Amino acid sequence: MKCPRCVQRIHRAAACCPHCGFALAEADMRFGGDDVRLSSLADTAGLLPRRDRQRVERAMERFNRKFPQLFIAVYTGALGEVGQLRQFGFWLLNRAAFDDVPVEKPNAAGILLVIDAESKAAGFTFGYLLDPFLEEGDTFDCLTRAHPHWLEGNHADGIVKAISQLAHVLRKRCRQAKRDRERFERKVLPPTKLGDMVHRIRSGHRPPGETEPSRSNEEVPP
Amino acid sequence: MLLPATVRAARNDPSLPSWNEEERKQLEESGWVPGALLLADDPPPEEQAKPEANPLDAEKPTPEEIAEAAAEPTTEIPEKFLTAYFDQRPENFLIDPQNLLDFQDSRDRAAFLTSHAGDSAIDLFVYVFGKDQEIPGEVREEELIERFFATGRPAMIVYYYIGQPQRSMVYLSPSLTDTVSAAEQRRALTSSVMQALEKTDPAGQLEAFVVQLGIRIYWMERMIHGEPSPEESTVRRATAHAAKKLKQGPSLGERMAGVMPLVRPYLLPAGGLLAALGIAIAALWWWKRRATFRLPELEVEPRLGGDHAAGVGAVISFASPTLPPASQRLQVPDYLRPS
Repeated sequence: MKCPRCVQRIHRAAACCPHCGFALAEADMRFGGDDVRLSSLADTAGLLPRRDRQRVERAMERFNRKFPQLFIAVYTGALGEVGQLRQFGFWLLNRAAFDDVPVEKPNAAGILLVIDAESKAAGFTFGYLLDPFLEEGDTFDCLTRAHPHWLEGNHADGIVKAISQLAHVLRKRCRQAKRDRERFERKVLPPTKLGDMVHRIRSGHRPPGETEPSRSNEEVPP
Repeated sequence: MLLPATVRAARNDPSLPSWNEEERKQLEESGWVPGALLLADDPPPEEQAKPEANPLDAEKPTPEEIAEAAAEPTTEIPEKFLTAYFDQRPENFLIDPQNLLDFQDSRDRAAFLTSHAGDSAIDLFVYVFGKDQEIPGEVREEELIERFFATGRPAMIVYYYIGQPQRSMVYLSPSLTDTVSAAEQRRALTSSVMQALEKTDPAGQLEAFVVQLGIRIYWMERMIHGEPSPEESTVRRATAHAAKKLKQGPSLGERMAGVMPLVRPYLLPAGGLLAALGIAIAALWWWKRRATFRLPELEVEPRLGGDHAAGVGAVISFASPTLPPASQRLQVPDYLRPS
């Protein structure tokens, strides 16, 4: 978990970045505090001709069919600085109301791909539902697949490739979660309190649900 | 319109009048028959049939005399051009001091021959003579060739008669006479003449002749270097093909015919198995295509004030090809990124 502004690691449930003090309120001040209505494919930078747009839409539909609880959104615009891209993505996924996304899918189940046509950079932002399952490296792999196409100006190809790779990663995560759910649960456990830590030390670092071994059978030294 | 009407009228005209016998007798007795010269069928008295003339009692011509009469008269090359033709080794590949070819044709043929000389190791010299011209008897062609072409690049020399390609003659420079057989020379000349005779105009004939001769020279070169002539190579190819076929043994169809009785009982089960396998693969593909995936919904505490999301993924720059993804894997703030 990283801060969208300073890209430093932050702890779970941090109200604001302990390094730079960033929070959604700051992003609201920069980009606006009201909700924004837009479609899940918002090509405000005009990077996608009509035919390319249809291809991207088809890829997004495939993804949404494959993962019924999730949705993917793509936004292209001119943001100016690479540093702003993360903050904008974070802000947009929290403030956007996607017209063509069913209401039963909250933004927490969304993955947003933001492409900045001005600084020629792209980045992923994802909702809390995906927090335990997606890592920075996964999203980097998706962007790497798209990179050569974007270098050549084939934005649609790049987006389709990135979505395809994202689907591949998530399929894998679904299978892993099916086999070993706890592995992902541990990632989102609430931060350990001091008392809990002492208790765990005393209980021999056993997980909280596990009962303490009975001392009755133990040999008592004379 | 006028012509059909006239024809119709002529058809409808009454027949010409004729004398009846009595009137005619009376008139003949009076000494004059009006219109007798025009209308009478009888010939005029002075033009009455003469006795047939007797055939002349002369000897029939001999075959030699007929041949001589049929042959067109030939002329010798004017003496003033003999020097230009036969006095020295020609400097150009096309020798036409009489200007028998027009300017354009002469230039085209000369260009072709020069280009040929650039591509080939054997030069081609073409002497152009008139259709009916004869080389004077005192000119000995072989001796001239020996004298002029004994040194220098190997050459083929052609005496070509405009409009009569069949009279052409081919000579080889001494360096080639040993390596190119007389039969090959004859074949080259024959095929060139045949090509020329397919054309009707003299200039086209010369062009076809020279082009074909150029091709034959190419084959001569290959033959000199140990490769077969076109005729031989065709025969060799056919022989090689037959040998290869023989070596390959029975064809696939023949082999299959031998195996079929053994295989036939298993064909149906194998086909069924393959079909079942195909259906299974298709079903698997269809099932995988329709399969959906669900992630477990885990409780995540909100952070940074965001109600829905705070998951910041990677950012990649595609501004420059000199900045590959590998160098961007470490996601750090911009101020820490090496420029």
